Amino acid sequence: MAHFYPLSVTDIRRETRDSVVVTLEPRAEDRADFNFIQGQYLTFRRKFDGEELRRSYSICAGRDEGVLRVGIKKVADGWFSSWANDELKVGDTLEAMKPMGAFHVPLEPERARHYLGFAGGSGITPVISIIKTVLKEEPQATFTLVYGNRSANAIMFREELEDLKNEYMGRLNIIHILETEADIDLFSGLLTREKCDALFGRWVNVAGADVAFICGPEPMMLTIAEALKAHGLPENKIKFELFASARPGKAKKETANGKAAASGATCQATIIMDGIRRTVEMPKTGQSVLEAAIAAGLDAPFACKAGVCSTCRAKVIEGESEMEANYALEDYEVERGYVLTCQCHPLSDKIVVDYDQ
Amino acid sequence: MSEDAAILDYLAKGGKLTSPDNAPSRYRAELMRVMASFVDSELAGAAGFADLINEAPGIGEKTAAARIVLEKIDHAVRVLDIMGEFGANIARYQSVHPWASRIGRHEDIGATRREGDMRLNVFHYPLEGWTDAVTMNVLMGRATVIQLTELARCSYQPLAEAFQSILPEEARHAELGEEGLLRLAASGVGAKKAIRESVDYWRPRVAASFGGADSPRFAMLKRFGLRHNPNDALLTEWSASVDQCLSKIDA
Ligand SMILES: Cc1cc2nc3c(=O)[nH]c(=O)nc-3n(C[C@H](O)[C@H](O)[C@H](O)COP(=O)(O)OP(=O)(O)OC[C@H]3O[C@@H](n4cnc5c(N)ncnc54)[C@H](O)[C@@H]3O)c2cc1C
Ligand code: FES
Repeated sequence: MAHFYPLSVTDIRRETRDSVVVTLEPRAEDRADFNFIQGQYLTFRRKFDGEELRRSYSICAGRDEGVLRVGIKKVADGWFSSWANDELKVGDTLEAMKPMGAFHVPLEPERARHYLGFAGGSGITPVISIIKTVLKEEPQATFTLVYGNRSANAIMFREELEDLKNEYMGRLNIIHILETEADIDLFSGLLTREKCDALFGRWVNVAGADVAFICGPEPMMLTIAEALKAHGLPENKIKFELFASARPGKAKKETANGKAAASGATCQATIIMDGIRRTVEMPKTGQSVLEAAIAAGLDAPFACKAGVCSTCRAKVIEGESEMEANYALEDYEVERGYVLTCQCHPLSDKIVVDYDQ
Repeated sequence: MSEDAAILDYLAKGGKLTSPDNAPSRYRAELMRVMASFVDSELAGAAGFADLINEAPGIGEKTAAARIVLEKIDHAVRVLDIMGEFGANIARYQSVHPWASRIGRHEDIGATRREGDMRLNVFHYPLEGWTDAVTMNVLMGRATVIQLTELARCSYQPLAEAFQSILPEEARHAELGEEGLLRLAASGVGAKKAIRESVDYWRPRVAASFGGADSPRFAMLKRFGLRHNPNDALLTEWSASVDQCLSKIDA
């Protein structure tokens, strides 16, 4: 279950014009929960005008640096990233889940592996965590990073990467690709298939690589993966991390709420559980009956929240409703009025839902 | 293009998703369904097999049966952890269904699922004794390997990797079953007859676990990159693999 822990902001550093690096500290008792693996991310939650948003940011520190740090790049009109860049300050508290994600391979210090990394823009964050960790913990490992950015002043961790290159002499090779500004064709423009082919022919030994990490926008990930495969790297040696967010952004939520308010589309829902009746006011869209029940302080049962397990089953004994998805209930159960409350939205202005039947 | 449309386009082109944040809601529901079906089948399979530990004829067989039960539960847990990252309440999940419950030996439920638990149809039927259990394990073991090989390529990378790590262990379960079956078959004519009866019972039921040939959801799952080969192709592969295995028994 999603559990959030408080993290206090101990440092904020402006990394580029539109990105910040935020250092965080868990409470002493939570420290072990935040032992992360290189390449993992944190998911934060924050309320914006009463609506909760959740956003993930990759940890950009090495595993043994002893700090928790994320790099947040401002997305045009982005809610969380703008707030983090413009308003967040030292001393504030952020709420985050434990580190998650599988963008890594287990360390093997005795081996001399060759790694490839491809990062686009803020996609550098998990990759730099991996670079720092493997160069330190696998003494014979080498790493080639291909790093694409719009322009030179947009490059995140530029100095830190230079320092790493000097610290691990000969083991870290960095190829910058800039959309504008570069003099040589090969290193300017977008990372297209042709550019990959040219790079892989001369500058990057793909067939000899043990694993490749790719993190960036969708088209870039597809292009690079295809080129890597064409140059002899098997699919199971390619690790992806996709930053795209399918969570509803603020803009979408606002229109949904706007609609609800405009047609007065709220519902008076009476929820019966363990013999107790409770009536709550809930919107017809944007919140499930289960969420409304939980928000009202009822210990409503659920497990998958995806219409799969039927744990949240209840019977609608008055009013109309509809389900977004149903993989668990049989037709005859639906006919009798049973619903999966995690998928259920009221259609009528009044509804009575009974968890005891 | 909206972010969701961009992600769906990316998936259709063979892209991989890597975190719950990436998953559009329909994709998420289908992914949860794939995971729940696997978890429920492993838990129900383990529960059914647990009873058989006592019936195993020798200490070697007992060890094999116990190991299969242990590892199937562990496989369920590994996939449950991924469901947990999507917000599923995993502590509650495992206690929702009576995993050891079975229907009558000769009830016919086709490929349908029952009472909200997502286990594959075969895991609703009861095992009858050691020979029957070993036979079922061989037939379903080979099916599991084929179904997992398919899912180990799925577009949700953390799940694909979990299945890749589970696959060799499930393949080993199928092998253990085959070794057991060959030993049983060698013990005499009566044993071979019992095996054949069990094969006749289980073969159509395991075949049904592959789903219908014209599954309307397949096209969508393929677009999502959650599936690649259609049900009937997997079924054909399984059928050939079972024939090859059974020919060793009859030899
Ligand atoms: C596993 C994971 C790890 C991530 N790690 C990082 C990280 O280390 N650093 C980092 O800066 N970001 C990272 N992201 C992206 C981050 O979670 C947010 O999606 C991003 O900051 C936008 O959120 P927002 O609330 O500011 O924008 P929203 O209010 O959600 O979006 C505003 C607009 O921007 C568009 N948009 C949304 N996301 C992006 C994006 N990534 N790029 C371009 N346009 C976008 C939307 O379609 C919308 O039109 C990660 C995402 C995932 C899934
Ligand atoms: S919580 Fe699983 S179906 Fe609703």
